[in-house]
Amino acid sequence: MILAAAVAAGLGPVPLLAQGYKLKLDARYQSVSFRGIDLDSIPASAVVQQAGQGPTSPDGFAVDCGSGTPGYCYYFRPGTRLRGQPLTTTADLTAWGFGVRGLTIRASGRVATDLASQAVWPGTEPNVVLTEGYAEYATTELTGRVGRQLVTGRLGYQGFDGGRASYRFAGGGLEVGGYGGWGLARAVALPVTSPALNPLDDYQPRSRQLLVGADVAWRHRVFDLRAEYRREVDPDVDYFVSERAAASAEVHLARKLRVAGGAEYDFVNGWWGTAEASATYTDRRWYGTVEARRYRPFFDLWTIWGAFSPVPFRSVRGNAAVEPIRGLWIRGQAERYWFDPDEAETPLVSAEDRGWRAQIGATASVTPQWTLEAGLRSEFGPGASSRTVDGGITWRPSDAAFFSARAGTLDRPLEFRFSDAKVNWVSMSGDVKLTERLRLASDIGWFGEERRRPDAAAFDLNQVRVSTRLVVTLGSAADRLPRAARPVTPGGSR
Amino acid sequence: MRARWLVGLLAGIVAGSMVLATGAAAQARPDSFDHPEHAKLFPRCETCHVGAVREGASIWPTTASCESCHDGTIEKRVRWTPRTGPVPGNLKFDHLVHRRSAGPASARTGATAPTCASCHQPTGSGWMTTRRAIVGQCLDCHKLPTEHLAVADTACATCHLSLVEARTLPEARIKAFGTPPSHKAPGFMVKGLAGHGALAKGTGPIKVAASCSTCHARDFCISCHVNAPETPLIQALGPDPRSLAIKAELKAPASHRSVDFDRRHGVKTGPKTEKCSTCHTRESCTACHAGVPAPAVLALASAGPGRAEGAQVVRKKPANHTAVFGNQHASAASAAERSCSTCHVRTMCLSCHRPDAGRASGFHPTGFLSRHPSAAYAREASCSDCHDSRQFCASCHVQAGMTSSRLLGTGANYHDGKRVFLFGHGQAARQGLESCVSCHAERDCLTCHSSVGGRRFNPHGPGFDPNRLARKNPQMCSACHGLNIPRR
Repeated sequence: MILAAAVAAGLGPVPLLAQGYKLKLDARYQSVSFRGIDLDSIPASAVVQQAGQGPTSPDGFAVDCGSGTPGYCYYFRPGTRLRGQPLTTTADLTAWGFGVRGLTIRASGRVATDLASQAVWPGTEPNVVLTEGYAEYATTELTGRVGRQLVTGRLGYQGFDGGRASYRFAGGGLEVGGYGGWGLARAVALPVTSPALNPLDDYQPRSRQLLVGADVAWRHRVFDLRAEYRREVDPDVDYFVSERAAASAEVHLARKLRVAGGAEYDFVNGWWGTAEASATYTDRRWYGTVEARRYRPFFDLWTIWGAFSPVPFRSVRGNAAVEPIRGLWIRGQAERYWFDPDEAETPLVSAEDRGWRAQIGATASVTPQWTLEAGLRSEFGPGASSRTVDGGITWRPSDAAFFSARAGTLDRPLEFRFSDAKVNWVSMSGDVKLTERLRLASDIGWFGEERRRPDAAAFDLNQVRVSTRLVVTLGSAADRLPRAARPVTPGGSR
Repeated sequence: MRARWLVGLLAGIVAGSMVLATGAAAQARPDSFDHPEHAKLFPRCETCHVGAVREGASIWPTTASCESCHDGTIEKRVRWTPRTGPVPGNLKFDHLVHRRSAGPASARTGATAPTCASCHQPTGSGWMTTRRAIVGQCLDCHKLPTEHLAVADTACATCHLSLVEARTLPEARIKAFGTPPSHKAPGFMVKGLAGHGALAKGTGPIKVAASCSTCHARDFCISCHVNAPETPLIQALGPDPRSLAIKAELKAPASHRSVDFDRRHGVKTGPKTEKCSTCHTRESCTACHAGVPAPAVLALASAGPGRAEGAQVVRKKPANHTAVFGNQHASAASAAERSCSTCHVRTMCLSCHRPDAGRASGFHPTGFLSRHPSAAYAREASCSDCHDSRQFCASCHVQAGMTSSRLLGTGANYHDGKRVFLFGHGQAARQGLESCVSCHAERDCLTCHSSVGGRRFNPHGPGFDPNRLARKNPQMCSACHGLNIPRR
């Protein structure tokens, strides 16, 4: 229904009052089917105990009798096949020319639902979400916004309902800004009070947090610098939800050498958060990056997680790519990481505290239309490891269309659970720009997932995924908000 | 029916062959009259070419004059009809005028007065070894000791009409024009006012150098110069679609091929795009600059009638957007947000940072769902930049039967890979707390880690500062400690 509405809207646009507007409707439908699991139990008296193995049910499922209702043992058995059919339509609108030079209205919203009755797909509740919706007034020096918006930067994409103003000093690259309003939850356009953010029926704040922040950026011919500060306060108790600052920089040391870095500081915990520094060298036929980073998770103070002292990990990673012959790119990437000492006294259980990731791959443009790709990836670390081999072929008959087929295989051992998996997949996708304003994309994939366990719970988790996407772009005055890409001539110039 | 096709095909082949043969013959035989054959008959050129000496007379001999011998009796008849009208070409040469002016001019310089043979007969060859005007000899007389196409700017106009004036010059001959040596010099095309732009400037009232206007007209310039309507030098040339017979290729200047050109071209141009406007319309910029255009972009003309489409720009990634840039762009994007916004609109960022539930693939490669445990535990990328752990991770884990809300306390030990995991999970939890939270609610942990109703296991580890936390938000502390929040 929503898809039909999107198509209808695309075919019969209603003129807006603005002198110019751009509207993009992006409708996506996906269908996924996979086997569910059911929790089951048996009386402890029915458990089979075999030599050298743990307790199992009579039909071979490993059971746990350690806790729960006394006298019963619990286990999972294969359930019915579940189906998720999320359908979403995203609308992006920008309109301008309301008689005030520099005034723009922008809105981005989403309508989503899971057409399957089982409602297994994440992110489809609530059905209507407004990601952004604000009015902006901009001059050469000043930009002001009022409404629902996102502030972006080193501290993450933070949504809020409120206002923001920034001022650019004439003749220089200096820009200062500030904002304030009622905040949204992390990485989602919903308030923290939304039931959709509480699938585990956990504690939730009663009110949305108040948010204020400021930033200063300096853009120079050689470097870009930015510093940010943001605090969030729970209005019910006037206590902090978060208080952080961050700085980031990018310096072009030489024509081909770029150094970038950034760091966050958490005032609430009094510790440094995630930080990284990298150097990238780019040449025509090869490029490479080396990076040192430190990752530490961040939790709001309305949760207790920060008090559990999450420890950071440090890593060194690098990547390089080279084009030894024209059209053939060979890539490599590797990372080694170590967790900081966690000081946990856990003599009964030891876990890995370091790991690595590595991958190599190659892309060959056999002809301007045909591209082959292959890759090998391996990672080992706490929690899980994996080894992946995949490859694909892409055909681009024109700038307006591409079709590709991919296949791969994956081994995934887990550290804390008997549920190693072997996954094979084959997928095909296509993307066709039917007209300047209409784009259709679709893909279909089969994922054969074989769970490896020493008991009867080693059932398959095969999946078939089908998705279709329709993008309708409407707009006027294309010279002001132009198409993202125009038809191009090979070679870059005529 | 088939016979008709065959006849038609045959006729076509014959006709085509004739056309080709005629053309080839015309090229091989520049002067169809056999002058040497008649050398002993005619001591003077003017005998036949009266127009060279008498005003109003044709330069070509009359039919009657040929028939005085070729009457079928004395000599066999020949077919000859003198040409009428102007000679197709771009010469502004007039034999009579040249004869009248060349004599006195030579007298002034002490040179020998030119004769017909001076131009039409190779130096030192016999009488009536006639041919079309020998350009080198013309240049010698005119004191232009250089190749024909290398003469000075103003010299072209000595003999040639401008292309616009040479209305009889056929397009095929324009297409066959040779390329002057100056055009092959490095930088001739792209150095702007230091290259062909400088050479194109005429002197005095002549705005455009004759060397340009001889071969080119406005249409030719417009094929590259998108600012032609605003360029007086180009407008000074007359329009002539025949000039498009010569094809120009717009090549990117060497500076544009620099690795960091994408990043630096904005700094270089600043608000002034005058130099860019030679080759680029606004559409060149908007191929990449997808946001609201900057004033510098708006200063450029938009493509449209009367204006070339200009250099076609390919939207491509800057050099620093390597294969891993998607995972590692946080610092660069934060520091140089304004740089990002020159090419990216917010929608593009949101497509990953606010992902769509119906999305099948995109940022993550195909098959990532199966691999994500290893990528997530020690974050390969920061999951929480794009995913809310509760809405996205936990709600999916609920469906997969992995979350504790249904299972904790039931005895279904999810972490069955480690015996007695529950009694030794501290290390794993501190290392991968975000992963824990994707399945566990706070109350799961408070079962043991609480001073109020729990088993008082202390969860606090390295870096924990109770006083600071209590100062910032004592409510969090009271979740475990109630009202008796301990201080250090």
